Amino acid sequence: MNLTASYSKKAQLKIQQMAFVLAAIIIFFAIVSILYLSISLRGLRGAASSLNEQEASELVRKLASTPEFSFEQNDCSNCIDLDKVLLLKSRQSYKEFWNLDFLKIEKVYPSQASLECEKSNYPDCSTITIIGKEDFGSPKSAFVSLCRWEQEKGGYTKCELGVIYASGKDIN
Amino acid sequence: MMNKRGFEFSFAWLFAIIVGAVIIFLAIYASTKLVKTQREVQDTELGKELGIILNPIETGLETAQASKISFSSETRIFNECKTISTFGSQRISTATKSGIGEEWQSPGEQSTFYNKYIFSESIAEGKDFVTFSKPFEMPFKVANLIYIWPLGDSYCLINPPGEIEDEVSDLSLDGFSIAAKASECPQDSKKICFTGTGCDIDITLDASKKISGSAKKKNADRVYFESSSLLYGAIFADSRTYECQLERLMRRTSELSGLYYSKSAFLAPKGCSSNLEADLITYANQTLSTNSSIDIRSIALISENIRRRNNELNCKLF
Repeated sequence: MNLTASYSKKAQLKIQQMAFVLAAIIIFFAIVSILYLSISLRGLRGAASSLNEQEASELVRKLASTPEFSFEQNDCSNCIDLDKVLLLKSRQSYKEFWNLDFLKIEKVYPSQASLECEKSNYPDCSTITIIGKEDFGSPKSAFVSLCRWEQEKGGYTKCELGVIYASGKDIN
Repeated sequence: MMNKRGFEFSFAWLFAIIVGAVIIFLAIYASTKLVKTQREVQDTELGKELGIILNPIETGLETAQASKISFSSETRIFNECKTISTFGSQRISTATKSGIGEEWQSPGEQSTFYNKYIFSESIAEGKDFVTFSKPFEMPFKVANLIYIWPLGDSYCLINPPGEIEDEVSDLSLDGFSIAAKASECPQDSKKICFTGTGCDIDITLDASKKISGSAKKKNADRVYFESSSLLYGAIFADSRTYECQLERLMRRTSELSGLYYSKSAFLAPKGCSSNLEADLITYANQTLSTNSSIDIRSIALISENIRRRNNELNCKLF
């Protein structure tokens, strides 16, 4: 007995057509999904980055009154205790404390040659970098008074003009 | 004779129906997921924003500061405190009420802050919230404590000490009232007894003039406080959150003691000697080992001694 199956060529063509349409639909949806995901991911990154910048901006205004920075001997809301900050620089525990990638204090008046402060050259220096990661966004700044103990003339508190810079965490 | 005319259900039809159904199902599934994810993203952003706007609320030189936070819709604030890492962490997340899909879904991703101390119920729900901030000093300023409660909640202080009464009146804190006895309190208010027991929160003050003692909420453990800032913490936070935040505060106190120790040693050769180094080291060790609010009394004694000795100095350390 000889058994043979006969297929209609028209039906075969239709199945092929359907398969192609199906493949095209899947590819279309995949492209649309990838496009949507990449756009929304970019938006999300932008939003996260902007929130971090906003946090840095709010924080920089308040840092002078935080206990690690504040000059507590007199009622001065914008005074920073420079002696305390110099010692804060070497404390590793504070590196992640403020959610910042960059935190620096710079003496602006009286002007001095740009020199990072260490215990050995203090106070004849101009900057104290507390947090200094290699990549950081545009830092926000605020003017502050930098107060420290000056041992000359029997000892007194000396305050100078400075700027505090802070940049939020990079999300990448 | 049979009617041979009829609808021919060809393969093409069958195929189209199955594929169409799958596509529609996937579209509905994807859009539901998309809405859920979008809500989660919004809740996550809201949690972070809340943490950021709490920065200007914190005090500088002020002794206390109060303000209001309004959300666009009914919101749940999830306050979680963790003691992992050097300073522990404050985690904030939010969930907003929605008319589409689930009314409340699980909160967005937590935003972590190491420098914040929020005292509230672990889940606070409302559209408007009252925030109140006070510095915590022991003996130097350690942090700003933030208290949050929904605008609708009311608290009735029965026979509070003068300091607390003055502060509540001066700041016109929303939802706070002062009464001489429980029967004078507004209905549905949480009653806080400073003398006697049987209230929602029973406060037992020590005989000293300072704000010091313990607080016991119904069905919760007793917690101990020193200073008015911690007293408010004991009122607004549940006992678990309170104990956790206090442990975090003690760790920061320990770090700050270490910083002041370094400052003292650094300035001594420059003619600004405090002779507080030994006390600061003891204080740093004691505060670091604190894991229960009951230890706060012994810590307060050392703190008071350091405060007194610092005040006597010509060249003050803090």
